[in-house]
Amino acid sequence: MLRITAGKVASAMRGSLGVTSTRVIAVRQHGTEESAEAFDSRYEKYFARDGIDGWEIRKGMNDLLGMDLVPSPKVIESGLRACRRVNDIALAIRWLEGCKDKCGDQKATIYPYLLEKISPTLKELGVPTIEEIGYDKPELALKSVYDI
Amino acid sequence: MNLLRFAGVRLPGAGRGTDRVSTISRRFTHHDATRAMGGGRELVGYGINGTPCYIDCADFPFPAIRYRVVDSAICALREKELGDWKKLTLPDKKLLYRHSFCQTYAEFQHFTPEWKLAVGIGLWSTAIAILIALIINSAGYDEYPETFQEERRQAQLRRIIHLQIEPITGLSSKWDYSQNKWK
Repeated sequence: MLRITAGKVASAMRGSLGVTSTRVIAVRQHGTEESAEAFDSRYEKYFARDGIDGWEIRKGMNDLLGMDLVPSPKVIESGLRACRRVNDIALAIRWLEGCKDKCGDQKATIYPYLLEKISPTLKELGVPTIEEIGYDKPELALKSVYDI
Repeated sequence: MNLLRFAGVRLPGAGRGTDRVSTISRRFTHHDATRAMGGGRELVGYGINGTPCYIDCADFPFPAIRYRVVDSAICALREKELGDWKKLTLPDKKLLYRHSFCQTYAEFQHFTPEWKLAVGIGLWSTAIAILIALIINSAGYDEYPETFQEERRQAQLRRIIHLQIEPITGLSSKWDYSQNKWK
């Protein structure tokens, strides 16, 4: 019932507000499984979109790093380029760290593979790897809030 | 009524007392309070429930605000960041990172000796609880009533058997009345 009503409301909205059909397609339906390739290309496109801002990049990255998966190298590259477009290198480094963290207990096998795939992009953009910047080990100890 | 007054709304029929309150109090909207929470830091994302607070957390690595307040040094560096990133030195990159984020992944996931404090507090509270129980048991209660004396309890048991209480499955069913002893 809800589905039928929602469908009717959506079609009515489409008619009155002129919502483009691409957005409607992006909505996943019940019972359909999105393939890994489709998922990757969806996020690749999301980060590659013209005029994406830091807000949306953070939203996409937060979502991806909250999922039970390791982002594929293409998605990581796309995210890095998005960071370049909004001129935020901190975001790029944090994104790399997050992707490394998503490798979990398989860091020894998956992370070198990721690094190998994305290193051309890293070199092109001038983003240091986590090892180069020295963030693979704790750099600073945090002062207790009671001592500040 | 009160709610409106505290929101700084001037009411047409309000008396003199309330008039003073409404002129002193500032009109706080939702956005003012949330902005004040950020403490003048750059709001860069939605964050947790739209709250502009900073947190280092692997589940949610991009908080709503940058960690540090903008100053002139960082402004100069941000200008430099607009250009080629290869021209940025490593300390520059680190500074930019620390401007946006407080701790790196390696730092906030580092194992801390905090467990010692947790164990310590747990043991201390257990010790104090045992001590309180001992003190109360030794000094806190009155003496047992005289009905707890062994002699009186035996007498009560005798009377229970004599009255044949619970004769089917209970106490008296275990007593052999013909032999006058326990079955």
